[in-house]
Amino acid sequence: MSAESHLIDMQGLNSHYGGRQVLFDIRFTIPRRQVTVIMGVSGCGKTTLLRHLIGLKATQPGQVMIDGEDLGGFDEAKLRAYRLKTGVLFQGGALFNSLSLWENIAVPLKVHTRLPEKIIRIMAVIKLGLVGLSEFCDYMPSQLSGGMRKRAGLARALAMDPEILFVDEPSSGLDPITAAGLDQLILDLRETLGMTIIVVTHELESAFHIADQLIVMDQGRVLAAGGPEEIQASGDKRVRQFLNRQADPRWTENPATSSCLPGERVEEGKG
Amino acid sequence: MIQWVAWLGAFFLDRVGELGRSGLFFYRMIRGLFRPPGKFHFVVKQVYFIGTKSFFVIGFTGAFTGMVLGLQGYYTLSKFGSEGLLGSAVALSLIRELGPVLSALMVTGRAGSAMCAEIGIMRIEEQIDALECMAIDPHAYLVAPKLIACLIALPLLTAFFDVVGILGGYAIGVDLLGLSSGIYMDGVERSVAWEDVYMGIVKSLWFALLIIWICTYKGFYAGLDEGSFGPEQVSKATTNAVVASSVSVLVCDYVVTSILL
Repeated sequence: MSAESHLIDMQGLNSHYGGRQVLFDIRFTIPRRQVTVIMGVSGCGKTTLLRHLIGLKATQPGQVMIDGEDLGGFDEAKLRAYRLKTGVLFQGGALFNSLSLWENIAVPLKVHTRLPEKIIRIMAVIKLGLVGLSEFCDYMPSQLSGGMRKRAGLARALAMDPEILFVDEPSSGLDPITAAGLDQLILDLRETLGMTIIVVTHELESAFHIADQLIVMDQGRVLAAGGPEEIQASGDKRVRQFLNRQADPRWTENPATSSCLPGERVEEGKG
Repeated sequence: MIQWVAWLGAFFLDRVGELGRSGLFFYRMIRGLFRPPGKFHFVVKQVYFIGTKSFFVIGFTGAFTGMVLGLQGYYTLSKFGSEGLLGSAVALSLIRELGPVLSALMVTGRAGSAMCAEIGIMRIEEQIDALECMAIDPHAYLVAPKLIACLIALPLLTAFFDVVGILGGYAIGVDLLGLSSGIYMDGVERSVAWEDVYMGIVKSLWFALLIIWICTYKGFYAGLDEGSFGPEQVSKATTNAVVASSVSVLVCDYVVTSILL
């Protein structure tokens, strides 16, 4: 694949929270107009990686290239221009509770365009229609289910017709039908609008259904990267453990677990 | 001993860090005044929330403050045979000192805490992150309209507090204790100069700036120190915001008074 077809090039990203390092030398590329899924167990650093990519966590220069430009070297104007090209669906939807659904979708349109209110409302209802919520446009977020809030969050992420869409855990907490609907919508966006979509998830079924490329992470490192078939064929022990849904032996074999309990340890057969 | 020194060093480093962060937040808040989006609609909404909705509590506090001043002032002044100065004593105390301070404390308790909690909840629900991802400056969108609204509403609430307080003093001094109505109102009119009103306005503007800065800052960074974001962090931030802005109002009151006197 040529360098031009890569939109994002991770060239050794390291990340810290205080003195604790959470990402170690992350290296992979994200192709244009494809769906890239970043998978891994909870706490493996997926969301931190996403926060770097959307500019919410500062990146050191030279570690992440976006469209050939260094994300760590972006000044405020460049970061703003980059953000105008991106849409983000947060895990909980992150809707503004004091605004109705259509007003939520209208927020970026009101700030970044000079369109009249009537047109903005029409555009917001169209975006809500994309996720099957146009009849709920006057509802408040508190009146909706978790799945509906997530879909509305996706509609808001699409409000400015972004080139890159970041999606954090689209299927978590959703019923299978709603989750499948969201997966199909992601695929439709790639097909019809040619969006580059980066999805962070640990839902295996959803990941293999939508991904053109998969990246498997563990403990802040990339374990494997490639197409769905390559990942399925991976011989890496941790990747297999993740794909086969096997319990982590560290949970069950950790002697610290029982040593935390009060009382005296009794050897087997002596009790 | 070494541990104690290390703890002290960590504490001071933490405080210096917090000072720097709050200074940066102040700069961004002021810069937000001149950045999009347009603020008219948001400012009107906030003036209603900070100003109109505080009307009752400010009126109530003002009335009783004026009544207590009337009662205490009459009792004290009558010892020197100077009951005629009651109008002056009540008006000057209210306009120069009690009006701005008590109005600011009431607004802190009613609106400042609510603003801190609102922004704190937006922080823990990733709504502030969402704003940033939409290329919208959260300081311009969330904080700046509150600042403009408080700068408009607090001086007006202070003026309302002063008027109601003076009437409260009148009710006690004239209606209850039998002081002449003319003497009371003449005292008010003759003793209050433009400098006194000016001092009250300047104070309330400074207090408005402090309240919004501290309350929105605490909400904006709710949970940052603990590194975890949840309801407990919002409640802590709200408590800290009310305590810190109330204390700051009192300290600022002394500083402004000493400069303007």
